[in-house]
Amino acid sequence: MTTPEKPIPTVTDENRPFWDGCAAGELRMQRCASCSHVRYPVQPLCPKCLDDSAEWTALSGRGEVFAKVIYQRAFNPAFAADVPYNLVLVQLDEGPRMYGNVVGPADDGIRVGAAVAVCFDEVAEGVSVPRFRLATD
Amino acid sequence: MNPSRRAAIVGVGLTPQGKLPGSTNLSLETDAFKTALADSGLAKDDIDGLLSEPGTTDMHWALDYLRLGRALGINPKYTGSFAMGGATAGNLVQLAAMAVTSGMAEYVACCFGDAAKTGKRRPLQAAGGYLGVETANNGVWGAFGAATWSAITASRHMALYGTTDDQLGEVAVSARAFAAMNPAAMMRNPITLEDHHASKMIVEPFRLLDCCLVSDGGACVIVTTAERARDLRQPVITIAGMGQGFITQDHECEEWWYGPHQKAAMDRAYAMAGLGPQDVDVAELYDNFTISTILWLEHAGFCKVGEGGPFVQGGRIGPGGELPVNTHGGHLSAGHPQGWWTLIEAVEQLRGASGDRQAPDAEVALVGGRGLVLNTASALLLTGGGR
Ligand SMILES: [Zn+2]
Repeated sequence: MTTPEKPIPTVTDENRPFWDGCAAGELRMQRCASCSHVRYPVQPLCPKCLDDSAEWTALSGRGEVFAKVIYQRAFNPAFAADVPYNLVLVQLDEGPRMYGNVVGPADDGIRVGAAVAVCFDEVAEGVSVPRFRLATD
Repeated sequence: MNPSRRAAIVGVGLTPQGKLPGSTNLSLETDAFKTALADSGLAKDDIDGLLSEPGTTDMHWALDYLRLGRALGINPKYTGSFAMGGATAGNLVQLAAMAVTSGMAEYVACCFGDAAKTGKRRPLQAAGGYLGVETANNGVWGAFGAATWSAITASRHMALYGTTDDQLGEVAVSARAFAAMNPAAMMRNPITLEDHHASKMIVEPFRLLDCCLVSDGGACVIVTTAERARDLRQPVITIAGMGQGFITQDHECEEWWYGPHQKAAMDRAYAMAGLGPQDVDVAELYDNFTISTILWLEHAGFCKVGEGGPFVQGGRIGPGGELPVNTHGGHLSAGHPQGWWTLIEAVEQLRGASGDRQAPDAEVALVGGRGLVLNTASALLLTGGGR
């Protein structure tokens, strides 16, 4: 039996700048050209003002753990070797929330409210996935 | 609501729930229809409205209503298929109520069939991946499994309000105690808090006994006006209040994790019915995970925000408790025709037909449904006993 491969992001014309940013070591999101709302997940128009022009801006990558869960079972067999592994929802300083994994400490050392900073993990040639580390500074 | 414009539930049907090899979404849907039709005393040709929820293995299949109508030989005046996860059952009944009170149709059957346990497999995709690429991409972080969103909710609720593993466990124990009194429930052996704590972690903070069952099964509910209902076989179960609520934006919505749309749906249903939490005799609340019950109790106003955990302790929501909740055993212990059994149990309770698990003098039932990536909500207030 072959070990299934972990999913890599599906890159589309719409979200390519996000994943290009990750490959370049930056967390980039869409900032509305009209009202400055920073939006995520990626979408073609601003949900606040409906303007469809936006610029991709680099975020600080800082935020805090909004919620965390720990998988003790792999619902996708590709993650079997990782169990237990964490999934966190991060409240970014600039407003959006995104999923990620906290790398480094044991899972039970991750607290809701803990400060985190983004880091990037190259999972395939030219493809980096944003994750987070506990921020100590 | 103007009493002359009220709708009523006049027939319910539930197939066996569990492992039903050889069944299909359609066969379960039509079996449930036949059971509900017999329950109502109506003839097939009386049914002029058909609403359907496609099975969870076929969730995107918006043409389910055509297949159903063809199978039943019904060419309806009014029809359609809707997929709102666990809020679909209640919201279809609301659509049916609107159809019969507006005169679009006279008798509307709301149907569901789902061979989720033995039928076709769902694709391996990230939790909520059915919403499109951006949600599917959460798979890169390992966000797989239906428990993901409710585990996020539980994590935050526990961190903010101190909700405990014991309190989650109490929900599971209460549900099982009711299931033990329900001959149709899938899991009937009573459990203790110790059994809950000994069950293996699945997606922390959830253990196996915090998670609902997966089952094959079908369900059907028939709706007409309260006026016509008086001439039919069953006691009149009036749809006194209806409410819906939705969050489409997930993480862009400040308190998405808590389910403010669920509270809004409850508030809307209470307002329409002119009733409040103090009037509710029995509550049937979509419990895909133990935390869901705790949240509903807050949303429905039985306790304050953050106090759902302490509320469930001491057997308050179990058999003989102050507020019987999920008296059939819920999704946790009875079975998983998503949101349909809770609705049908509410009707049975108001008919006084729930056997050993019957809540005393049940005249007002509250039904809550929730679904998808914590996106959809449904609330119904049903009344019986001539109210
Ligand atoms: Zn804007």
